[in-house]
This record gives sequence, structure tokens and C-alpha cells, in this order.
Amino acid sequence: MLWAAWLPPPDARPQPWPQALTHWALSFTPRVTCQGDAVLMEVQASLRLFGGWPALRARVEVQGRELGLAPPAWAPQALAALALARAGLPGTPDAGPADIDPLPLTVLDAAVPHAALLAQTGCHTLGDLRRRPRGALARRFGAALLEALDQAHGLRPSVHAWVTVPDRFEARLELPWRVEQAEALVDGARRLLLPLQGWLTARQAGVRACRLRWLHDGLRPRDAGPGGELLWRTATPTRDIDHLQRLLSEHLAQVTLQAPVGELVLEAVEVQPLQPQAADWWADPARAEAEALQPVLERLAARLGPQRVLRPVLCQDHRPEAMVRWCPTTEVTEVPEAVELAQATAPAAQRSRPRRLAPAVGSQPAVGPQPGFLRPQPLRLAVRGHRPHYQGELQLLVGPQRVEGGWWDGEARAAAADPPPLSRDYWVAHSPRAGLLWVFCTRPVAQQQEPAWYLHGHFA
Amino acid sequence: MNSFVLEGGATVWRADRLERPATPVWPTGWPALDAELPGGGWPAEGLTELLCECPGALEARLLMPGLAGCGTPVALVGPPQPPHPPGWWSGGLAPARLVWVQADAVRERLWAAEQLVRGRAAAVLLWLDAAPPGALRRLQVLAAGAGRPVFLCRPWSAAGASSPAPLRLRLASGSGWSLQVDVLKRRGPPLLRSLTLPSVPGGLAAVLSPRQQRLGQALPDGLLHPVEAMPLPLPMALPEQPAANEVHHALGRLAPAA
Repeated sequence: MLWAAWLPPPDARPQPWPQALTHWALSFTPRVTCQGDAVLMEVQASLRLFGGWPALRARVEVQGRELGLAPPAWAPQALAALALARAGLPGTPDAGPADIDPLPLTVLDAAVPHAALLAQTGCHTLGDLRRRPRGALARRFGAALLEALDQAHGLRPSVHAWVTVPDRFEARLELPWRVEQAEALVDGARRLLLPLQGWLTARQAGVRACRLRWLHDGLRPRDAGPGGELLWRTATPTRDIDHLQRLLSEHLAQVTLQAPVGELVLEAVEVQPLQPQAADWWADPARAEAEALQPVLERLAARLGPQRVLRPVLCQDHRPEAMVRWCPTTEVTEVPEAVELAQATAPAAQRSRPRRLAPAVGSQPAVGPQPGFLRPQPLRLAVRGHRPHYQGELQLLVGPQRVEGGWWDGEARAAAADPPPLSRDYWVAHSPRAGLLWVFCTRPVAQQQEPAWYLHGHFA
Repeated sequence: MNSFVLEGGATVWRADRLERPATPVWPTGWPALDAELPGGGWPAEGLTELLCECPGALEARLLMPGLAGCGTPVALVGPPQPPHPPGWWSGGLAPARLVWVQADAVRERLWAAEQLVRGRAAAVLLWLDAAPPGALRRLQVLAAGAGRPVFLCRPWSAAGASSPAPLRLRLASGSGWSLQVDVLKRRGPPLLRSLTLPSVPGGLAAVLSPRQQRLGQALPDGLLHPVEAMPLPLPMALPEQPAANEVHHALGRLAPAA
């Protein structure tokens, strides 16, 4: 067994003590308990996960410093850890009688009522107490004192009431000073995100949306409201608070505070079960890569706007402009399927038989040549001597490929004031300066009319 | 002295030979190009600059075989035109691997590219016209630790400006269906000749007639022979009259085959 114990710091932060701390401690182990005003956690079973005690201790101390905590005391028994913490000593995982004996009597709860009397008998430390005859001690001071002493030395088992987590997460923090810049709220929010991480770990869940509310200081101008709030989302449930914090700071950069802020409230809005990826050798690298990309894209979307970071979704349509729908990456969350990955690693094989693989992914490469880039609006080309020109006279190479239709979304097109159904003949054309182009001509309505030529795509 | 030469042999690069980078490279898919690049591929730890006459015309054609072979996502930052994934798919790059970042201002593009490079999860194609040299140096430093190739596409006019990228290529369309690649800068002796890479743009190989493909190679001026080019439909020739030539058949052939 390995225990860590914290005492409440003098200014009693993080607030509210001890709830914020117990939530945070749950990110290391499910076995967290409160004794009086102290918080203890038992981490023996977590050592391997965090890479041993030195690594775990470093992690606990770094994160604890962000919460405003002193380093905890470590010991193999709960009462020993608590006693060391009260004495202000760091302890070790194998702290034994040599470490506990010099401590004063007041560090042990059961000895506090008897401390004055014991001191008069010349008994000042736990070591003195341990060396006294046990029968006489039990008769005079009760069995509870001996039991606590034995528990501190690991001679008797101890029983603990483990902390349970509530269904909803809502944490509140009173800022140590008034904050006037929205970006500076991130530091405070970080102190709320650390408990959130522990709460999510304990519930085996990930968060998809969080809400940060800030309450204005009491001495605010009259026109400033009581506060404001910010809701931010991730595409996939996550437990990674660094990512949540980066997203939050991108969002806060666009916020202007009406008045100085004195208090923050963090709330987990959408919580979903999350199975974290196993950190083993057999992890799928392609999947891990796709998962690594998602946080970056979300950060881009947070600053540039979700409509500007896009992934393609292929549609079953033969009109070039309707073949692809670009969706914000925050909405398209699926990781590429195995079939697509297989095809990515074996492109030659895939090209030779596209149809057989295609139905599995629900889409297929279009028939015929397709350009690499498509103009948002077709460009009307000049026609000289019945020949279209674009940076020189065009030579038509391949075609025509007739594309017709589009009547089925006539209403949407009418709303967009576009000419309704298409009737186009696509050609691959070569321009002496602009390279290969994809042009189309519309079918003339009247017999005498010239066909109109448009430039629609560029072959890469 | 001897011991110094022995120890330094692996790490000292002599400028008259191609560098052998210790970091992995990504095969380009062009054996002729691989042979002229240090390590035999796109550097995964560094910036690669592609200079192209009109942006968007040739870069994708050059990069497609290499990108199709690796399984990594590909992020397009600020492409000159909206990308059309079916066209990229015909080159072997599945749409699920494409990400399009619309960033207009130079600062936004650089920031987005920087975030993607830091994320180490995608190959990045960044289009830039003018860039402050400090920003490029910053990108190069970041790319040096990325483990993914970072391609910077710029116009020809940037060839004269100095650049921190360790590899710079200038692209032009060569005679017929080929790409002409000049290696402007590499870690190795200067390459005085240009490389000619035979390439038919994505999806076209299947529909070009053999004669068109041959002719394209034979003509030195990069243009197809006028006789081979399609006769235009006359204003009166409405599509009820099929344009009589072999190309039409080529397209017709494709439909049952696909």
C-alpha cells in the first residue's frame, strides 16, 4: 500500500476544500478518502500505470502546484502518511518506525485528547508511546489509542469510506484577484479543469461540451450584467484537459469582459462514456494518427471558425459541384475505416478495382477524368472564332462527357437563383499557359445561338 | 586526426556528395527523382519548397504518388482553388485523408500550418505567395522536428529570394505529358540538368487514346499536335450528332470497364 496525504493549505484553496482536491485525486486512483479536513489517496495499484513512484510523485506535485497545494506526504499506511503530513515531512513509500517514532503526539488524532497527560508522564513522541507497556496503556487511555498506533505502523488493518463522485460536475472557484482580461481567465479555468479530469476518470467518461461561467465583481458598472458564459465543444469525447484548455484560450481570445471577474464556475455539459486507447504495442498507428490530428483541427476551427476547417464527404451524385459536401471537421468525426486505410496503403491495387472496394465505404471514385481543383463558380470563357480562349486558345482533348440533371434539388437551386437543371458537355482542354483545364459548353437553346463555354476545373 | 575522420565519417557531410540524412525520408513515388534527392525521398524533417508557374497546376501531380503511398492525412492550407476530392482519389489519395483549411491571410496560413506541423499528424501542403523570411525560418525549424513532410508551394517569382528550405524544386510542364523538375537547392552538388518525369494527370490515363499519349511525348513544344486535338462542335452541330472520332470511343470504353 502507498498513501499520499494532504492537509488544507492555510488559505484553504483550492475551494471548496476538499471537494476540488478529491475530484482531482481521483485522476490517479479510485481510492480517495477524507479524514477530518485531510485528504488521502491510496495509489499502490496505479504505480505501474503512471510509470513508478518517482514519475507519479513528480506528476502529482506539478499538478498540485497548479492547484496551489504543497507536496503531499507519502507512507505505506494512511495514518502514518497523515501524521507525516501534519509534521510537515515528505515521507517515503517505505516509511517505517524510524520515521514515525520522532513525531510528536499531536499528529495522531486518537492521541490528541491525552497528549497533555502523556506529556506529564514523560511521553512526548510516538516512539515513547510505542515503547510503553500495551496493557497499561489500554487500561488507562482506552483501546482506541492503541488501535490508532497499530494502524499507523501497519499492524492492524484500517477501514476507509471511499469518496464517491456526483452525477454532475460543477466546480466553483473564487479568483485570488480580480481579472479584467478574458485571456487571463484561462489560469483560473485550469484549476477547475484539473478536478474535471479526475471526475471524468472516476466516471470512465469523456466530455464533449463544457461551460465556463464567470461572475462579475460586486463593484461592477451598472450596465454590466451579472456575468457571462462560454460553451465550447470538442468533436469526440475527451479527457485531455490540455486540449480543453487550449480550445478555451482560443475562444476566450474573442471575448471582451464587461467588468472585472471575481468568480468562475465550470460545468460539464455533455458527458459520454469513453474507452481510452490502450497505451500498448498493439495500438493501431493509423488510428492513433487520426486521433492525433483531431485536436489540432479543433484548435484551428476555434480560431478560424468551424466553417473554414473542412473535410470532404462524398455524395452519390454525378454533378461535379454536388459530388462533394465539405463539412466542418468538428462535425465529421469518424476515423477512416479499415477499407479506406487498406486502399491508402495499396493505391495501385485499389485503382485497378475501385468498384469492388467502393460499396464498403459508401462511395466510389467518379467515372471519367476528374480535376484536382474545382472553381467555386464556373468562369465564362471568351470565344473567338468559335473557339474558347483561356490564356490562349484551348485545344479540346477528351470529351464530351455529358452531365445532365439536378432537377431533384430544384427548390434549393431556385432559392439560390441558379439556372435549374444542368445540361453540360464536359471536355478536357489544354491551354498553352494554364495547363490542363476542365471546361464545359452548355447546349444552345436556339439553333442560331453560340454554345457558351465555361471553365470549371483545373487538373493538377 | 585519423580517429576524427573515422568518428566523423557518418555525421560529416561532404558538400560534393548527396547528404545521407539520419532522419527518415518519404519516397516520392518517382524513382528518377528519388535518385537525386538526399536520402532518396521527401525529407520528413524539413521544409520542401515547390515553385510553380501558376499555383495549383503541377504540385499535386508531383506529390500525388508519394502522398498516396503513405497512409497519413494530408492537410491543404490555403489552396488557390477549392480542391475536388474525386480528382485526388483518382490519384490514389482517399477523400477521408484530405483536410481543407481555408485561410486567406498570410498570417492565418502560417499559423494554421504551424499548428498542423506541431501536431505531427498530417503531411502539410501550404500555398503562399509572399512570406516574410522570418516566418519561413520559423516554419523550417518546426518542420525539422515534425516527422511529416511539409510542402510549401510558391510562385516562380520566389526563386530569386533566399529561403531556409533545405530542398527547393522548380516545376514546369515539360514536353507532352511530363513534368519538368529543376532542383534549385539540395544538400548535395548542384544538379545542372532538369529531370523529366512522365506523368499523365489523375484519371486521364484511362481515357486518353494510345495515340494521344504517344503524340504527347513525341512533340517537343509541350503542345499537342493540332490535328490530334478535337474538332470543335460547330454552333449548329447539336449533340445529337456525335463528334466522330476515337476519343469519344475512349470515353465510351471506360464506362463498362470502371
